[in-house]
Amino acid sequence: MSHTNRNFIVAYVLLVGLPIVGLLGVLKSGRSLTAPLSVDGVWRLQVDPVRLAALPCGKALASAPETALAISQSGRNFTLNLTNGPKSTASGLIDGTTLKASVVPMATWSDEIGCGAGRELSLVATVNPKTDPRSLAGTVSVNNCPSCASVEFRAVREAPPAKKGSH
Amino acid sequence: MPDLFKLILQIAVILAVCRIAGSVFRRFGQPRVVGEMFAGVLLGPSLLGWMAPGLSAYLFPPASLGFLNALSQIGVVVFMFLVGLGINPSELRRHGHAAVLTSHVSITAPFVLAAFLSLYLYPRLSDDSVAFTSFALFMGSAMSITAFPVLARILAERDLLGSRLGTIAIACAAVDDVTGWCILAYIVVLIRSAHNPASIWITIGGILVFALVMIYGVQRLLRRYETVYRERGHLSENLLALMLLLVLASALCTEWLGIHLLFGSFLMGAIMPKEPRFVQYILDRFETITVTLLLPLFFAFTGLRTNIGLVKGQEMWMYCAFIILVATAGKLGGSMVASWLSGMPVREAAGLGTLMNTRGLMELVILNIGLDIKVISPALFSMMVLMALFTTFMTTPVLAMICPDQILRRELTKPTTSEESIPGITVESTGGSAA
Repeated sequence: MSHTNRNFIVAYVLLVGLPIVGLLGVLKSGRSLTAPLSVDGVWRLQVDPVRLAALPCGKALASAPETALAISQSGRNFTLNLTNGPKSTASGLIDGTTLKASVVPMATWSDEIGCGAGRELSLVATVNPKTDPRSLAGTVSVNNCPSCASVEFRAVREAPPAKKGSH
Repeated sequence: MPDLFKLILQIAVILAVCRIAGSVFRRFGQPRVVGEMFAGVLLGPSLLGWMAPGLSAYLFPPASLGFLNALSQIGVVVFMFLVGLGINPSELRRHGHAAVLTSHVSITAPFVLAAFLSLYLYPRLSDDSVAFTSFALFMGSAMSITAFPVLARILAERDLLGSRLGTIAIACAAVDDVTGWCILAYIVVLIRSAHNPASIWITIGGILVFALVMIYGVQRLLRRYETVYRERGHLSENLLALMLLLVLASALCTEWLGIHLLFGSFLMGAIMPKEPRFVQYILDRFETITVTLLLPLFFAFTGLRTNIGLVKGQEMWMYCAFIILVATAGKLGGSMVASWLSGMPVREAAGLGTLMNTRGLMELVILNIGLDIKVISPALFSMMVLMALFTTFMTTPVLAMICPDQILRRELTKPTTSEESIPGITVESTGGSAA
């Protein structure tokens, strides 16, 4: 074997072979990592419309037929849109199995139903990933409104968790 | 049925914004494609949707995006065929050990660094429906890709295609792309078969049989194209239509086998005859319409999926900075060290590393696949798009700084070992090239 070939093999082993061994080690150690609970997808909302309509900001939501929560997740953060419902923007955080989000009504919606300045809907819900990962249960309440009661809701994932890998 | 008025309005707006952005970027010495990639982001929720949500909702209502996506995917299928067409497997062999070592290190270094970074990012930017292995492998392949077409354009603009630096860069980028796509194919199979472990072997077996049929069967038949071209000096419209049909059939086969349309079109391009005049003839027929009309739609569609607003807060921007740092250190640093150890002067090695760090359009194609199969989250997708824009944008100024023109001229006078180079798609329309 020539000197050049030997140098090439040594360099190849050091620069390509060793990193590949390191990669296998990383893949093995990474298996023990846990990522936040998956909540990405569309959740069909089940809530008592009468009680929801009694809430400030809740009227428009209660009148929308078949409202669903479309959740787009990035790690612990998620954004939430109300499909078929009034236009709103919401962002939230996942803490273990609990989801917390604030729904800020768009200006037009807020004016129509008299949400009032500084008021927004607050959602707190939990998922039990072991017993019922497709079901979300929690409450909707109005921030800065001590006299307003919170309303319980349930949401069911429309389809099984999107099969990662399907288009 | 698509709303034709809306669809044509969308195409017109996208073309206008892409051409303007491309021209502005060219004035600053950047390849037009960088401007077009940037234009896509401008048209999405990151700028238009943020500044003028009403106009954005009118121009790009979610219900209309399916048609735009379909058109853009046709463009990317043809584009990947042209990328495969420009790749010559024998390029690497001409450059011996230096190119083999450089190209392999330029894949493994960013790949391994990305896997290490995944240990940090996975618990923060992914969720428990994605396995760590899939996440890390995807991040690795996304960071190790090189934009072969953009790189070819930069080399052509700097008159470097025939230089030692240029030919080694092209050869390494070709190897990187082929390897990167093979790894990505494996990841797609892995993820799609996650629910059924038995099907992974059926899929891999099917892909291997398909690849063997293409390489040892179809490739021989395709040689007749070159023979006809050599005899007549041109190909009839029927033969060109048949070529497109073969590309689509190959794309459909890989989609049916469980990987992705784009692998089939890329493979069809890769097994086409490589006689330089024949390759140039095919590029002349397909490149203009693909690059000027269909690829801007892909940039816009990617931009519509990119929401820089999701990268909010100091923490998220820090993740983004880590991604850019790791991608650059792995690709630029890895390629530079390997080529320097192979005997290349340090300045030239740094130039090669800079060129290999160009990710451009190929990165966007891979990221879109990652978002489709949900192996990356929307926020991570946006960060990776920013990384692709940053690493592509930095190539031209950094290369000019490391390898000033007078040094390159001197380098160009040195003899090279390469034979006649094969032309490849360079992501620039005819008009763009002239600009």
